[in-house]
Amino acid sequence: MDNSGKEKEAMQLMAEADKKVKSSGSFLGGMFGGNHKVEDACEMYARAANMFKMAKNWSAAGSAFCQAARLHMQMQNKLDSATSFVDAGNAYKKADPQEAINCLNAAIDIYTDMGRFTIAAKHHMTIAEIYESELVDIEKAIAHYEQAADYYKGEESNSSANKCLLKVGSYSAQLEQYPKAIEIFEQVATSTMDNPLLKYNAKEYFWKAALCHFIVDELNAKLAIEKYEGMFPAFSDSRECKLLKKLLEAHEEQNNEAFTEAVKEFDSISRLDQWQTTMLLRIKKTIQGDAGDLK
Amino acid sequence: MSSDFETYELDFGTLTADITNKIGRIPKLAGEEKTQLVLNVDKQLEEVRELLEQMDLEVREIPIQSRGMYSSRLKSYKQEMEKLEKDFKRSRIAYSDEVRNELLGDDASSSESQLIKLREERAHLLDNTERLERSSRRLEAGYQIAVETEQVGQEILTNLHSDREKIQRSRDRLRETDANLGKSSRILTSMLRRIIQNRILVFILGAIILLTIILAMYFNLRGH
Repeated sequence: MDNSGKEKEAMQLMAEADKKVKSSGSFLGGMFGGNHKVEDACEMYARAANMFKMAKNWSAAGSAFCQAARLHMQMQNKLDSATSFVDAGNAYKKADPQEAINCLNAAIDIYTDMGRFTIAAKHHMTIAEIYESELVDIEKAIAHYEQAADYYKGEESNSSANKCLLKVGSYSAQLEQYPKAIEIFEQVATSTMDNPLLKYNAKEYFWKAALCHFIVDELNAKLAIEKYEGMFPAFSDSRECKLLKKLLEAHEEQNNEAFTEAVKEFDSISRLDQWQTTMLLRIKKTIQGDAGDLK
Repeated sequence: MSSDFETYELDFGTLTADITNKIGRIPKLAGEEKTQLVLNVDKQLEEVRELLEQMDLEVREIPIQSRGMYSSRLKSYKQEMEKLEKDFKRSRIAYSDEVRNELLGDDASSSESQLIKLREERAHLLDNTERLERSSRRLEAGYQIAVETEQVGQEILTNLHSDREKIQRSRDRLRETDANLGKSSRILTSMLRRIIQNRILVFILGAIILLTIILAMYFNLRGH
């Protein structure tokens, strides 16, 4: 009951704000209190949008924020405009993902113009997440994650950059863009190798890179594993490395059961996640495929 | 008189039953107990003999017509008693089953105890295997937990690293903001100074103009 009342208030505010904007368009208004009126209108739009949010009318809130943002642009308040666009994006996220992406893109343009790359990168990540979850468009998501990673690298936030890169890597591997995925994983692994905080993660990245090598070609995988062991001795102790060696053997002998058994053994101790199971399944299919060819 | 005979019969019956019982037990015993039991049986046999003599006297007192039944009974009792005595003698020198057991003894009883021992050992071994299995299961669970802990640790470390970078960045930005604030306060003070300067200038100029006007008016009036 309270919320519908809020909605009515909000619509009233919007109407008032519209009037103000129109009135400031006329010459006299522009002369005397134009700016003042436009600012007031902006504020009213913002308040109306908040009330729409309370009433959970997300798309109306989003459009109100967008109006406010455009007015701010008119008044050359870039920062305020960008924040309004971000608010609009957040409101639209719950209702209309495409609109949200448009608003966020506008905000990103403003930020990059001002040179605030960190925040732009963060918003690229948000957009990529929307593409990941709501509009399932993996390629665009990859593109945005890559942009975000580049910006983060530019700003020397390596851990956030690594986070984005990892996502790019996993998705590219899913889309079978293996060379790219391999390069990314190796890059991330080498950079985390030396950092005392992050070195325990390095083995996981090497394992993923080796998996991708494996799918492409078995010989590649062998060379890769040797290379990694040389670079990072702790890798050879890890259970993942042992699993890899067993899998290589099974693949050489075209032994399907040994493969499955080794995987099961590993899984019984620490579960394999979705991505890894998909990759392993692909490798297994290549074994079966080879065996089929031989027959 | 016949009732006396009947009581004698009853006593005879109980005594013979007892004696047979004891005779049965004698071979199984040895040493002290055996001699005791033998003496017991001896005494009871004596009692039985006395009973029989008294029964004899009783029977003689009965008139010859009704003697027949009682005398036949008496005869059967005497035979029974002789049989008991023979049994008694035999039992004292009998080889009992016990002796046989002792000779071949260890094998038979130990084969049984062997079986029992084997069964016990088997139960032990099963118990041990079960314990081993339980321990290995627990070890595996422990290993799983250790691996999970390691993964959680990895995540925490990555988070810490990214937080560290964020904090460093915020610190730098804060220093920048601080410097900017210092600059802006300096600008403001200089603005203030200029304003004061301007005001002083305006007053001075205003004073000069006033003075000039007054002087002009003064000279004008003087010139008249």
